[in-house]
Amino acid sequence: MSIADDLTTRYAADLRGFGAALPDDFATGVRAMATLLPETAVEAWAKAGVELANSSLRAWEAAAEYFRASPALVDRLGVEGIARWVVLATDLSSRSSLIAAQFLKSTPDALAVLQPDDLDEWAQQGDRLCRGNWKSIALSQLYFQVSPALFQSLPLASVSRLVDIVDQLTERSYEVATTALEGAVQIFAGLPAVDREPFLRFARAVTRASWADTRLYFERGPRLLDRIESSQRTAFLDLAGRVTTEVGRQGFPLFSDAAEALGGLPLEQHSAYIAFAARIAAGSPTAAMEYLKSAAFVATRLNPDQRSLWEREGLEIVTVERNPEGAEAYFRLESTRAEERMRALSTRVELASINSMLRMYAKALSGEPVSVQSAEELVDRGIGWVTESTPTTEGSTIYLPPYVATFEEQEANFQVYKVFTTHQTGRMEFGSFDYAWDVPGTYVAATGPRREVAATMRREERGIAAAKAEAVTAVQRLFNCFDDRALIAGLFTVVEDTRIDALVAREYGGIRRWLRQLQEHEIVRRPKVEEMALRQAFVENLLRASLGMPEAIRWPVMLREYMTEGIAALRMVEQRGATVQDSAEVAGALYDIAASIPNVRAPMPDGKFDFEGATQEMMDVLPSMPGGGDGPDMPSNSQEAAFENPPQPDFRGDFKPELVQLMAKLKLQQEGGVDPGGALTKEQLMELLQNSTELSIAELADGDIDQSLGMFLDNLQKDAGMPASDKKGEKKDGDSDATDGGDGEGPDEGEMPVEITWFYYDEWDFRAGDYRPRWTRVGERFSAEGDREFYEETLRRHHGLVMETRRQFEMMRPESFKKIKRLEDGDELDTDLAIEFHVDKKAGAGPTQRIYNRRNKIERDVAVAFLLDMSASTDEEIEKQKVKHSKDDDDDDFDGDPRRYFQWLAARRAQAMIEPPKRIIDLEKESTVLIVEALEAIGDAYGIFGFSGYGRDNVEFHVIKNLDEQMSDRVQRRISKIEPIRSTRMGPAIRHTIHKLEEYDAKVKILILVSDGRPQDHGYGRDRTEKEYAVHDTKQALVEAKRLGITPFLITVDKEGHDYLKQMCDDIGYEVVDDIESLPRRLPTLYRHLAAD
Amino acid sequence: MTNKIAPGFKQIAVEDFRLTEEPFYLPLRDEVELFETAYADKVPVLLKGPTGAGKTRFVEYMSWRLHNRGGHGGHEEGVPLITVACHEDLTASDLVGRYLLEGDETRWIDGPVTRAVKNGAICYLDEVVEARKDTTVLIHPLTDYRRLLPVEKRGELLEAADGFLLVMSYNPGYQSAIKDLKHSTRQRFIAIEFDYPPRDQEAIIVQRESHVDAAIAMELAKLAEKVRNLKEHGLGEGVSTRLLVYAGKLIHGGISPRRACQVSIVWALTDDREVQRSIEEVVASIFDD
Ligand SMILES: Nc1ncnc2c1ncn2[C@@H]1O[C@H](COP(=O)(O)OP(=O)(O)O)[C@@H](O)[C@H]1O
Ligand SMILES: [Mg+2]
Repeated sequence: MSIADDLTTRYAADLRGFGAALPDDFATGVRAMATLLPETAVEAWAKAGVELANSSLRAWEAAAEYFRASPALVDRLGVEGIARWVVLATDLSSRSSLIAAQFLKSTPDALAVLQPDDLDEWAQQGDRLCRGNWKSIALSQLYFQVSPALFQSLPLASVSRLVDIVDQLTERSYEVATTALEGAVQIFAGLPAVDREPFLRFARAVTRASWADTRLYFERGPRLLDRIESSQRTAFLDLAGRVTTEVGRQGFPLFSDAAEALGGLPLEQHSAYIAFAARIAAGSPTAAMEYLKSAAFVATRLNPDQRSLWEREGLEIVTVERNPEGAEAYFRLESTRAEERMRALSTRVELASINSMLRMYAKALSGEPVSVQSAEELVDRGIGWVTESTPTTEGSTIYLPPYVATFEEQEANFQVYKVFTTHQTGRMEFGSFDYAWDVPGTYVAATGPRREVAATMRREERGIAAAKAEAVTAVQRLFNCFDDRALIAGLFTVVEDTRIDALVAREYGGIRRWLRQLQEHEIVRRPKVEEMALRQAFVENLLRASLGMPEAIRWPVMLREYMTEGIAALRMVEQRGATVQDSAEVAGALYDIAASIPNVRAPMPDGKFDFEGATQEMMDVLPSMPGGGDGPDMPSNSQEAAFENPPQPDFRGDFKPELVQLMAKLKLQQEGGVDPGGALTKEQLMELLQNSTELSIAELADGDIDQSLGMFLDNLQKDAGMPASDKKGEKKDGDSDATDGGDGEGPDEGEMPVEITWFYYDEWDFRAGDYRPRWTRVGERFSAEGDREFYEETLRRHHGLVMETRRQFEMMRPESFKKIKRLEDGDELDTDLAIEFHVDKKAGAGPTQRIYNRRNKIERDVAVAFLLDMSASTDEEIEKQKVKHSKDDDDDDFDGDPRRYFQWLAARRAQAMIEPPKRIIDLEKESTVLIVEALEAIGDAYGIFGFSGYGRDNVEFHVIKNLDEQMSDRVQRRISKIEPIRSTRMGPAIRHTIHKLEEYDAKVKILILVSDGRPQDHGYGRDRTEKEYAVHDTKQALVEAKRLGITPFLITVDKEGHDYLKQMCDDIGYEVVDDIESLPRRLPTLYRHLAAD
Repeated sequence: MTNKIAPGFKQIAVEDFRLTEEPFYLPLRDEVELFETAYADKVPVLLKGPTGAGKTRFVEYMSWRLHNRGGHGGHEEGVPLITVACHEDLTASDLVGRYLLEGDETRWIDGPVTRAVKNGAICYLDEVVEARKDTTVLIHPLTDYRRLLPVEKRGELLEAADGFLLVMSYNPGYQSAIKDLKHSTRQRFIAIEFDYPPRDQEAIIVQRESHVDAAIAMELAKLAEKVRNLKEHGLGEGVSTRLLVYAGKLIHGGISPRRACQVSIVWALTDDREVQRSIEEVVASIFDD
């Protein structure tokens, strides 16, 4: 009997109790082992297996794996190895048979990579993950299941680190831990070998800093890394790891953003960027990441040389100034310093930085209240302009590209803006949009009416229906006289721009040279005229002549006379005194010439029509109008191409006289102006839009033309300040209010959208020690109006207080005269001094002659702004003053009749019951009423404002009463409506109040901030709980006020110590008012103190 | 210690002062005719308009013109001009006169108005709103048909000599409401309005006054017109003809036009950096260097 049979029989009974297959697995295994090992060893092997099967409840499953896997492992492990192996399994089995089973099952695969000696370590890692609960058992099992695959890409030691990570994750979430472990196989298999270790190292840092980000990292990390130059990934990950260790939870977002940004930069530059980031990281890890994040943007603004200057300055903030926060802000591009530096280094000029200066410049030149905006905004308005990079105007605003980087020097780029602006203001100043029908020019008679008749006849002949509606504008009427609108519009543009350029050059000697530079820049960028069809080439050549460069003309010899005539005509408008009427006539004459030239692109084989340079005659031609004649005699053997205008030079921009005249007309109508043409019909408008070559409908919508025109019309009307057409329909029957339009105060005010004016302010970043430029946006609007009840109710309830406060304030009324004594001369003699004088004189004691008095009138000249906190935190109740309130404290309304006392008291208590508890905001409101009453008594100018908002670009500034506004019913109603709304970004609100006070003319200016002392807003600090940032910014704003000669004062309506401002504002006036009763006593003293000269 | 006096220095009593040369004045509308007629009829005149628009120059010119016509009192006597620059602390005694102490004695000194009244001079109160209202009231009796000046401290009433005329100037632009002219004062004058001249005329003035060539004068006048478009930007009334003349003088003296405009116009008008910048750009657009 073989040892195998013997053992099978010996353990048959022991094995029978477990699953049906176990005896078979044992039998198969023992037989195989018997061929490989000596008997004693086989016996020991079998014994260990059976013990394993019995070691725990379902351990037979593990034993089955043991029996099955062993034979294949004998070679690898040897007898002792097998024995150790099963001990490991048995230990695991005491945790869970499932784990042990998986361990045994995976062993052959694992050994494909691991050494037999590694088994202990491996088993121990899995064991570590098991904590006894079922989730951990599943995780441990998963570990043994996936680890063989992991070993393909990670050495055991690294896997051990991965286990650390997974283990840490389990403290938070088994789900996350499981996902991480499952994903790891693929992730590491997918990563290039060299990246695996660094990836893992960073993973550890992330997990320590913020466990939840581990999942994100595993999900996105590989893809992010993929875009980084391969040799640089290790360096980048190590950098990110260092940063994360320092900054904690911000680490991963910084990594992610920086990786994204790096991915956008050329691969070959990654090493330089990362190396520099590492230098910054030594002093400020966050700044290093911010540097990488902004690198792509910086690269668009600065060339490499400028960039290294830029970088060096930032690095010095870290290394020399040792101000890591400052460096962060610098590289985040959120400090004034960064902005200034960037501007100084960059040759590119941003519109935003010179916008208001250009606005004043344009205003000065044109004499019109123009504004200057980015062309992007015009495109957004959808009224027919579609390019964001060309300057233009719609008659009241000048649109300019958001930046200019045409030339290598900043100065030259700045001058480009000036040329743009001057050309556009030129259109206003020199009347490009003033074309009128049938008015002669200075040099040329009006041909409009004649052309109009001819055009009508032509159309009738050809059976084309006459225009359905009458022309809306003079320009439209002019263009209607020509069959090819594109051609006449194009020619009118060239001619009028020629006139404007000539005028600009003549009137503005300082612009001339820059204009010239742009013209030269333009001429070498013109499309090839030789490739154009003849008519288009004709227009292109005119354009070249108009750029002052007739030598750039290329034109067939055979057709010279036409070109010469054309240029001569163009020269007409360069003469002193030429008007837009001349331009229109010249354009008409040029049209006649152009129309007679076939639009063919066919060089003749005989070379007669080859293009040649300009002749001397062309260049020296004197202004004259063409005589009119026949077109060239040309064989019309080739097809005519559709005419298309050559592109406009950039510096002249878009010219859309038809639309501008239309808008002006719409505006005029809207303002109720009398228009001789009468009201416009929709039909007329649609016809204009449909025919105008100034719109490219194609760009608007692919759908129904009528529909897109309708939309277009709406936009135009909206722009002109008209109600959109659908609303107009409703109003038709009530004709009266449609005509007077304007901003009358109709009863339906409630529907009117609140009008908001936006202002931008810097914010103080105390960490960086610098302002964040234009960081906040404050929207000023009038506060909503409620009913007057609250106001009256407050007056009634606090009647006594109101009277007292008033009295107090009336006593502060200015003493109207102040006496100045001891003057050498004055209105009156001071008797005492006069006597003294005589005595002195008699005594010979060098008498003083200063014996006169004078009364000087003292004018009170005080402006005070109250700024109320309307944030949600003011919704809180004020700590109630229970007992104090009950007795004789507020008995104004008790008439003093003892018989009615109990009645009064009962009523009062009942009222206290139903009265809702008082909130901070209520106290603010009541105080406001009191203050208003008091200030009305004294006659000082005062404004009341409220603020709230959410986030830095939506700070709400509510005007309850402007400084120069009269007290009125409406103001009272606005006070009633004050309600707590959102957050508290105090800084910008204070800055805006400062702005309002600055605009007001008064000797003494006071800003009183009434709040609960808790500045707080989204993003106003690192996170919602941080107060320092907000408090510092608020304090800074108050300091700014002081610097401008405004006295700031804080009133806090809360005594509960939630006050974060107090500690900061040691040198700023401060007062806690916890109940309204104390206001009248405090206010006058306080106010007198503040308003004292 | 004696005060040093430069050789050739002249000290003349105000009423004896006469212009020796015709001042240059370019009439813009009918102001000369109006003034002459008012003078003949003894109707007091208020000159209204922004600073540097030529009011003072106009009065000087008129006094010269009336004097040399010999209309009143012939060639020799003429019409002297007595000017008082008004200010906040101006008192009645400053205008009428006061006693001075001289050793044991007191001595009465006539104020400028009194001198004008006695000498039949044109009395020009420049920037009259600057004076306090209670001071201005003093001149009321001088403006009606009696033409009397009460000299309280001496208990006298002076009747204005023939040829006396009260003229005031007033700049409605920059005064606040508090500093407005009292209605009762205003009602006693005819008002001649002054404004900055149109471009062509202003160019003539600048050319005459500063001796720059016509082209530069024209550019300066153009600049003024453009800058005046910026009125609301804290520039008060915009650049005055006087400032243009200054700029012209500097240019004539060899300063480059841009620099001349900078110091005489840009910086004189505003301290706001951004407004300065935009005006400088306007200057740079007009002048090449
Ligand atoms: N119409 C004018 N004719 C001649 N010079 C003028 C005229 N208007 C202004 N000026 C010039 O402007 C300067 C300032 O004028 P001025 O009379 O002092 O102004 P105002 O008294 O109105 O403040 C004068 O010195 C003179 O050079
Ligand atoms: Mg003057």
